[in-house]
This record gives sequence, structure tokens and C-alpha cells, in this order.
Amino acid sequence: MIKDITIGQYFPGDSFIHKLDARAKLIVVFLALVEIFLCKNFLSLALVVLFAIVSVAISKISFRVVFKGMKMIYFIIVLTSILQIFYNDEGTVLLDWWKIQITTGGIFTAIFMAIRIICLILVSSLLTYTTSPTTLTDGISRLLSPLNKIKVPVDTLAMMMTIALRFIPTLIEEIDKIMNAQKARGADLDSGNLVQRAKALIPIFIPLFVNSFRRAYELAFAMECRCYNGNNKRTRMKQMKLSWRDAVAFVIIAVMLAGIILLNHFFGAVI
Amino acid sequence: MSILEIKNLSYKYGVGTPFEIDALDNISFSVEKGEMVAIIGHTGSGKSTLIQHFNALLKASEGQVLLEGKDINESRESAHKARFRVGLCFQYPEYQLFESTVYKDIAFGPANMGLDKAEIDRRVRKAAEFVGLKESMLDKSPFDLSGGEKRRVAIAGVMAMEPEVLIMDEPAAGLDPRGRKVILDLIKNYREKTGSTVIIVSHSMEDVASVADRIIVLNKGRVAFNDSVEEVFSHEKELREMGLNIPQITKIFSELRSFGFNLSGNVYTVDDAAEEILRYLHKGGN
Ligand SMILES: Nc1ncnc2c1ncn2[C@@H]1O[C@H](COP(=O)(O)OP(=O)(O)OP(=O)(O)O)[C@@H](O)[C@H]1O
Ligand SMILES: [Mg+2]
Repeated sequence: MIKDITIGQYFPGDSFIHKLDARAKLIVVFLALVEIFLCKNFLSLALVVLFAIVSVAISKISFRVVFKGMKMIYFIIVLTSILQIFYNDEGTVLLDWWKIQITTGGIFTAIFMAIRIICLILVSSLLTYTTSPTTLTDGISRLLSPLNKIKVPVDTLAMMMTIALRFIPTLIEEIDKIMNAQKARGADLDSGNLVQRAKALIPIFIPLFVNSFRRAYELAFAMECRCYNGNNKRTRMKQMKLSWRDAVAFVIIAVMLAGIILLNHFFGAVI
Repeated sequence: MSILEIKNLSYKYGVGTPFEIDALDNISFSVEKGEMVAIIGHTGSGKSTLIQHFNALLKASEGQVLLEGKDINESRESAHKARFRVGLCFQYPEYQLFESTVYKDIAFGPANMGLDKAEIDRRVRKAAEFVGLKESMLDKSPFDLSGGEKRRVAIAGVMAMEPEVLIMDEPAAGLDPRGRKVILDLIKNYREKTGSTVIIVSHSMEDVASVADRIIVLNKGRVAFNDSVEEVFSHEKELREMGLNIPQITKIFSELRSFGFNLSGNVYTVDDAAEEILRYLHKGGN
């Protein structure tokens, strides 16, 4: 149940995508997301779909895992698409009933939006699937390091993020454990009305918070004992290096951009 | 009829993910009423997973758990009822306390059973006394207690439900030798006074040898042995291959016997050993 959430999870591997430099990967993914928004017709969207599918294939992460992780978002996709159907009144009218009017234009935009959202999620979840959280925050802090000049404590923020990410699985595991322990004492977590259910969560969340604070203190003491100091210029065990792979990724993203612009220009726009 | 019967139980974690593992594999055994059974196994052998099936917290992929002949997973109600008949005290239970006072925390289980106030009060005081918590402690916040005291509060919380079967997952883990002895004696006492069935989970032979009637050894999710303490300890070599050790004092005695001393084989604690040696010396060395 609670363990089925795979978004944000990291699947270790050694594919081309896993080996990209974290900074390069962040920029490439960002550009890819922008390009997805630039698409104006189904042809340019097809190019993006191709890019997303090939990327997942290269990463060797099974499509089943990827789509299972998207389960929670299907609702949002369906909702957005349905709204699109009603907002667009171009094209021939397919159904006209009371105040509701469904047109071909509406259907097309709905499909277009659904595919676009799926692509967005596919590409962005590929980032976390193939990059360990620590590498990812490292990459972010390196990309943001110019902000140090205007007194933004980038390193400290990055460390906070690393720690937060590091403890997500621990917390999930702990929630599971505490829930089981309280159920063993007869706590009824999944029946009753909303108020009763909310009340039933108290025995879960109090120990969770108490344990989290305890762990936070322990961690802080342990870090202080090892002389951690957010202001020091920290060096890294794993140096980040750009390689030919990153160059290839940038070329692909540039070519895709050119393709999208051309296809948008020469064929009609759907939205 | 056995109070608890496990039939061909199998369980997998993470079904359908790349992290799928067989935690339990075709486990069968039964526990008689009033018996004290120890479940022993190396870290990761599936002990905690197994006992969570006994009160329907986990539902087996295959197999059944019968409580007095009835499948506990038959319906939602039977699963919920099983929680009160089979009391499960988790590993490191002190991290699950949540109420504002010790009293309220111990009362959580009995209150969930729907008992009236007087009965809850009786049970809370009885359980608290049993685990050696002073009256004055009942009004304290559980978070202000020491680790060992918290553990006792948590154990009292389960005992207060007066379950027919009490299961303790590593009750002595992380305590000093004296703390371990106190907790183990407490469980032994509980059984003698109430006549309940007790299942105690541990990875230390030393802890359970002197208290258990029977030992079930788990290895990689399977039952490796299910026999009397003596019989299980006679398989020292196999146990060692499973990452388990028989108590040192037992080992010394088996060495002594191999040198021709006529000593008993079931010596599990230093006290047993002292007694046995005295007996031996009194008899004049034969
Ligand atoms: N919630 C879980 N999700 C996935 N795998 C799990 C989970 N809990 C346990 N496992 C795995 O199942 C196996 C058995 O674990 P279990 O906790 O039952 O062992 P144990 O015998 O209680 O060990 P210990 O002596 O350390 O408490 C282990 O390999 C463990 O990694
Ligand atoms: Mg365990």
C-alpha cells in the first residue's frame, strides 16, 4: 500500500542515462520539459513521445514500473482532459445537449493534453529513477552555486534537502511499523466516519513525530561531533565531470528543439 | 485442539516489484494451549514477518493461520477479534508509546476492546504491577521514562488486553544483562500466573533456553527445527551454519562430557551449571 509509491524512488543501474552527469541531466530534463510545452501539433508531440519512450528504454527501467508509479496521477490526467473537452468549441460539433457541447477540437485538445502530461511525468520521473537523491541534490547545489555570491546559503540548503530525502524511506517504514503496532492493540484505522478516522491517526503521528525529533537531534549531534559546519567550503568525494555522454545528450535535445520548431511552423497547430 | 495452528504459510514482500523476496516459505507448526514456545533465527530469517500473521496484520500469500481451529482471515471481524485474543508486542515497542500519561497508554488496548471503565482500571493496575511499574509512575508522561521503563510500559500495554496468546518480538533486545533477565523473568512469571500461551521471538539461544518448552528454529524463511530445547541444541553444527550459537555454558558441559565426566546435557545457564557441578561433586565424581 504505502510502499507502492515509486515516484521519487531511485533504481540503481549503469545505463547511458544513469551515467550522465547530474548537472547535465538536470539541464537536459529542464529543456525537455520546456520543449514539451512548445509542441503545438501532433507531429511535434510525436517527436517528444518518441524521445520519452526511447529514453525510458535506454534507462533499462521497465515500463511496468514507470506506469505503475504514475497510478496516482491518472486521476489528474483524466480530469484535465475532460475539462479540455468542455472548454474548446472549435471544429465540428459531435454532441449538443443542454449547455454541453462536445466538438472535434475539444476531443483533440483533450488527447493532446493527456499525452503531454504523460510525457512530462515520464521525463521528470526518469530523472529521479536514474539519479540517486544525494547526487541529485549535489547537482542542484552545484548549478545554484552562483547564488552563493548574493548570500544564499546554497550548500546548507542542499544539505537539508539531502537529509530530508534520505529520511523519506525511513519514515515510510516507520509509519508502517507504528501502524502495525497500534493495530495489534486493536486500533481501528480503516473504518468509521471522517472524524473517527482522523482521531485514529493520533496514535500513529505522535510516536512518528517524537521519533523524528529524537532522530533529528541525534543526527545533529553526530554531525556536530564530526565538526560539520555549513559555512565551510566542502569538497566532494565524488567529483562531477562532464563527459562525451553529456555532449551527446545536449546535441539530442538541441536537434529535438529544432525539429519541434520546424514541425510547428510547417503544419497546423492543434492548440 | 491446538490453540494456534500454522498451515503451509508462505509470504512474499514486494510482489511485482524488482525487490520481491520470499520472506516465508511453506511454514507449518502448531502451538498447544499453555505452552511456551521460542522462535529463533538469524537476522532476516523471517521471525517478525511470521508472527505478524498470527494476529492477521499480514495476510499470507498462501496457507492458513487457525486460532482454535478457525481461520483468522475468514472475515474482517474475525481478523479484528484475533488482535485481542493474540497479543503482539513488537520489537522495540517503546517507540510506539503516544499517550500523555503511562496510565492512558496502557489503557489504549483495553479501551479499544470496548471494556467498561472499572474493568479497564483493574487491568491497567494489574498489568502495571506485573511489569513492576510503581503507582506513582502511572501519571507520568511515558516520554519522561528511561528506555527500560518505556519498554515495560509497552509490554504492560499488551498484557493489559489479557490475550490468550502473548507474542513477544525480541523483548530483551538492546537491554543490559540484568535488564534482559528482568524482562525474561517477567514473561515467565506472567505465564505461570495466567496460564497463557506465550511465544517468544529471539535470536539469542541464551535468552530462551531456560524459559521455553520448545524451540522452533527459522532459517531463510523455513522451519529448520521444531523440537525440545535439548534436541535442538544437539544439532550444534547445523545451528552454527545458520548463524546461531548454543549457550557457551552448554558447550562447555558437552565438552566436559566428551572427556568422560558424567554430567547432565541440559545445562543452559550458569545457575544450572553451578547446581549440576555441586550435584556431581556430592555424588563423589560419578
Ligand atoms: N516491510 C518489508 N518490506 C520488504 N521486505 C521486508 C519487510 N520487512 C522485512 N522484510 C524482509 O523480509 C525478510 C525477513 O524479515 P524479518 O523482519 O521477518 O526478519 P527477522 O527474523 O525478524 O529479523 P531480525 O532478527 O533482524 O528482527 C528480510 O529479508 C527482510 O529484509
Ligand atoms: Mg524481527
